[in-house]
Amino acid sequence: MGLRSIPGEHGNVNTVFAILYAVATVVLVAGLGFKIAQYARTPAPLKIPTTPAPLTPAGAAFRVAREVVVFESLFKANKALWIFAALFHFGLFVVLARHVRYFQEPVNVVIQLVQPFGLYAGLAMMAGLGLLLLRRIVVPRIAYITGPSDILMLLLLLGIGASGLAMKGAVHTDIVAVKAFFLGLMAFEIRALPAEPPLLVHLALVAVLMIVFPFSKLLHVPGVFFSPTRNQCDNPREKRHLAPWAAKLEAGGN
Amino acid sequence: MNRLRLAVIGFVVLATAILAGHGAMAGDGRPALPQAKGSVCVEDTQVMRRNHMDLLKHQRNDTLRQGVRGGKHSLAECVSCHATDGADGKPVPVTAEGQFCQSCHSFAAVSIDCFSCHATVPADPARTAIR
Repeated sequence: MGLRSIPGEHGNVNTVFAILYAVATVVLVAGLGFKIAQYARTPAPLKIPTTPAPLTPAGAAFRVAREVVVFESLFKANKALWIFAALFHFGLFVVLARHVRYFQEPVNVVIQLVQPFGLYAGLAMMAGLGLLLLRRIVVPRIAYITGPSDILMLLLLLGIGASGLAMKGAVHTDIVAVKAFFLGLMAFEIRALPAEPPLLVHLALVAVLMIVFPFSKLLHVPGVFFSPTRNQCDNPREKRHLAPWAAKLEAGGN
Repeated sequence: MNRLRLAVIGFVVLATAILAGHGAMAGDGRPALPQAKGSVCVEDTQVMRRNHMDLLKHQRNDTLRQGVRGGKHSLAECVSCHATDGADGKPVPVTAEGQFCQSCHSFAAVSIDCFSCHATVPADPARTAIR
């Protein structure tokens, strides 16, 4: 294959992680693309918005936005779970935004401004994950319906957070080299990665997360946008809801 | 089946591109830094890259809270060794674009607190002597 070893140390580690991230990226993007296309093609034959529902499409879009951003129906249903979920998801959002700095040069102003909040967001994320895990173990009704994947996803995210916070607070890594590695990867070049356990564990777990994402419960991320009870508006009398297959039957006079 | 085929094709394309690009490596991708004046740093380069902030903060606490002076990890020493002279012969601040501190800090989007109090250029020997 004409693989040259890297000037410096640990050439194999660099190559393994470069290929791992190439595979993970392809699986994540292609897998998500496939699932989104599948969700978009899935028929929604009935008009079933949960009432009271918005009367206009714009209103329905706003309702979906509230669902996505502040988890409205969860708030109405279960306050404790809402707090756990909000801690985790908002924390993760800030942490992800903060990590954008590893993939762009120069770094966007908004990404620069979010940097100081990373540690607190990381701690909030870990607290949320810990509480979500505790809930799955401690609450009998929840423990009864908990499958292996529920626990494994939480452990995977906890592992990512723990290794990340370890690098933030205790055993720093050479973040300039990490950024050089990922900028290199985006230009199809393999550069040196600091071969240190916390970083390699962190990166390996993230790659695993990217790979399992399109096959897991984490598909609620695109899936929430396709919920018929949330994304439909309440106008069945003003405008008749006719699924394409039903329209065909009607036109064919079957 | 479709999904599998897509994944396999994508993987082969990307892996090939990476392995092909591998031959054409262009440097290590780190931001360029001006050469330091001294030959050896107070710590190993790998240690400094990872832990300079902790070393500086530790010495700050020693100096500020316990009055211990003359420590090994002195910010003033960092600046005097790593600041470069501009075309006009005057030292360029280490926080200026492309200078020692700023290059990596801007690359990694990390703000520097040090220089809201401390000087970004080495102390002027003439002025220090008068004082």
